[in-house]
Amino acid sequence: MNATDDITTEESSAVTLDHVTRTYKRDEFEVRALDDVTLDIPRKSFVAIMGPSGSGKTTLLNLVTGIDHATSGRVAVGGEEISTMNEREIAAWRARHIGLVFQFYNLIPVLTAFENVELPLLLTHLSKADRKTHVESALKAVGLAERMGHYPRQLSGGQEQRVAIARAIVTDPTILVADEPTGDLDAKSAEEILILLTQLKTQFDKTIVMVTHDPRSERFVDAVYRLDKGVFTGAEKGGVSAKATAALQISA
Amino acid sequence: MTKYLTLIFKNLLRTKRRTILTILSIAVSLFIFSVLVSLPTFANQMLADTTSSVRILCRTKMGLGYPLPVAYKSKIATIPHVVAVAPLVIYGGIYHEVSDQFPSVATEAKEIDMWSDWGLTGVDEFKKIKTACLVAQGTMRRFNLHVGQQIQLRGTVYPFNVTLTIVGTIDKGPVPSFLIFRLDYFEEAAGNPGIAHEFWVRVDDSRVVPEVCAALDNQFANSAAETRSASEAAALGSILGRYRIFMKLAEFVGLVAVVAIGLVAANTAAMSIRERRSEIAVMRSIGFPSGVILSLLVGESLIVALLGGAIGCGVAFGLFKVFAFNADALGPFVSLHVPPFVLAETLGVAALIGLFSAYVPRACSRETQHR
Repeated sequence: MNATDDITTEESSAVTLDHVTRTYKRDEFEVRALDDVTLDIPRKSFVAIMGPSGSGKTTLLNLVTGIDHATSGRVAVGGEEISTMNEREIAAWRARHIGLVFQFYNLIPVLTAFENVELPLLLTHLSKADRKTHVESALKAVGLAERMGHYPRQLSGGQEQRVAIARAIVTDPTILVADEPTGDLDAKSAEEILILLTQLKTQFDKTIVMVTHDPRSERFVDAVYRLDKGVFTGAEKGGVSAKATAALQISA
Repeated sequence: MTKYLTLIFKNLLRTKRRTILTILSIAVSLFIFSVLVSLPTFANQMLADTTSSVRILCRTKMGLGYPLPVAYKSKIATIPHVVAVAPLVIYGGIYHEVSDQFPSVATEAKEIDMWSDWGLTGVDEFKKIKTACLVAQGTMRRFNLHVGQQIQLRGTVYPFNVTLTIVGTIDKGPVPSFLIFRLDYFEEAAGNPGIAHEFWVRVDDSRVVPEVCAALDNQFANSAAETRSASEAAALGSILGRYRIFMKLAEFVGLVAVVAIGLVAANTAAMSIRERRSEIAVMRSIGFPSGVILSLLVGESLIVALLGGAIGCGVAFGLFKVFAFNADALGPFVSLHVPPFVLAETLGVAALIGLFSAYVPRACSRETQHR
C-alpha cells in the first residue's frame, strides 16, 4: 500500500514517481540520493517535500522538472513520461509545463521586473503585445503591478521572490515547483510568500510542489511528503491553508 | 531573434567598462592587422597588375643614377617583337620648397602612349606643346594644382629650372605622385646631353618578354654601357623585394596581434560567463534550449568583436586616407590604402574572434549543464 493513497484517492496524479532511484558517482563512491522512491502528487494540490539536508529533496525536484534523469524507475509529470525525453524535448516540455521558483530568486540583475517575468515568454510565439498582457497579469497576481520597471536591486527580498513567482506562473504552467522559496526570507516575508503560493493554488488551480526546511510551511500545504536518506518515508496531511489564507484576507 | 536583442544588449552593458575595453582592444588589434595586411596586399596587387604587362624596363647595369646613351633607342627598336621604345630621363626637380619633392621625368612626346593604361588625360596637348606636362593625381591634390596651371621646377641634379604647363593628369599610375614632361624640352634646356636613365620598351606579346629582355642585354653586352633589362613586373618586384622581409614580418605581427587579442577576448567572454553561470542555469531550467543560450552568447561576442573590427578598420581606412593625402612625396608606399577586401577580411577576422570567444562560454555552458 502506497503511503499517499489516502491523499490521491479522488484526483489523478500530477506527478508520479515509480520505483525511482538516482545514484551519483563521487570519486570512487556511489551516492544513492534517491532510493526506490514511489509516490504520487495529486493535481491541484500544494505539497511540501521535507526532510533533513541530504535526504534527496532537491534531487527529487530535479527529476520532477526534468533537470536531472533517474538512474532507474519511471517519472511521469502531468501524465507525460519524462524519463524517456531527450534534452530538446525536455527543454520544450519544461518551458510549457513547469514554473520554477528558487531559494535565491535568481532574477537576471540587468533586467527589470517586467523583463525578468517576460523571459520565459520569449520562448513562445506570443506577440510583444500579448507578452505584455501576460506579464502584467502575472505581476498583478503577485501584487507587484506597480514595480514593473524596478530592477532586482531596487526590490526587497520578498518582492524579488514575488517577481520570481510571477516569472514561474507567467506561462501558465501545469506545475509550480519551488525549491526553498522561503529559505532566504525573514519570517514575515516567508509567510507572505507561502500565502501567495496558497492563493495561486486556489485561484489558478495550480499544482505546487515545494521543497522546504521551513516547518511553518506545514500549515499552508495540503500534504507533507517526507524523505530521509533518499527514502520516501511517508506523506501526511498538511495544516490549514484555507484558514491561513482567510486570515490574511481579513487582516488585509 | 529580435526579441532577444534587449537581453543581448543588456548583458553587454552589464559591465560597461569591460565591454568598452574589450571592444577597444579588439579595435586596436584589428587596426594593426588591417594596416599590416594592407602592406603586402598592396605590393602583391601592384605585381599582379603588371604580370601581364608587355613592357620592359631597360637600365644600365651600373644602377639607376647612371645614364645610357639615348642613341640606344634606335638599336632597341630593331629587336624583333619590339613595337615601341620610350627613353626616360630622371630630372628630379623641387617645387617651391626642398620638402616639395616628387619624381619628375622626361620622355619623348610621341612615345607617351607607352603608358596609355595609366589613365592619361591631355595627351593631345602633351604632344603639341613643348612645355607641357602630365601630373599624377596625388601631386595635383597635394599642391592643389589644376590643369592649365604653369609651374616651375628647380633642378637639383641638373643646374637649370623648367617651367611647365599642366595639360593633363595621370589617374592610375603605379605611384600617386609624379610628373612627366617632354624630353625635347629637357634636351634643349640641358644642352642636348643625349642621355636616358632608362628605356621603356613595349613588345607585341607578354610571352616574348623574357626573350626580348635577353636580346636587349645581349645587344649591349661588352659595350661601355651594358644594360640590365627586366619585365615591368620583375623591375617592380625587385624594388618591392627589398621590402619583402618587412612585409612578411608585418603579416606575422598582424597575425600575432589577432591571435593575442582573440585569446584576450575569449578570456574576457569566459569571465563574463563564469559570473553568469547561475543565470545561465536558471535560463536552462526555465526552458531555454542550449542552442538559444549559445546563440545569445555568440550574439554578444559577435557584436563586441564586430564593433571592434569596424572601429579598427575604419580608423585604418581613415588614417590611410589622411596619410596618403598629405604625404604624396614619400614614394610608392604612400599610395597605400586599405583595400575593400582587406576591410572585409578584417571584419571576417573580427567575426572569427567573436566566434572563438564564444567557444569558451559554450564550453562553460556545457559544463554548467552537466553539473
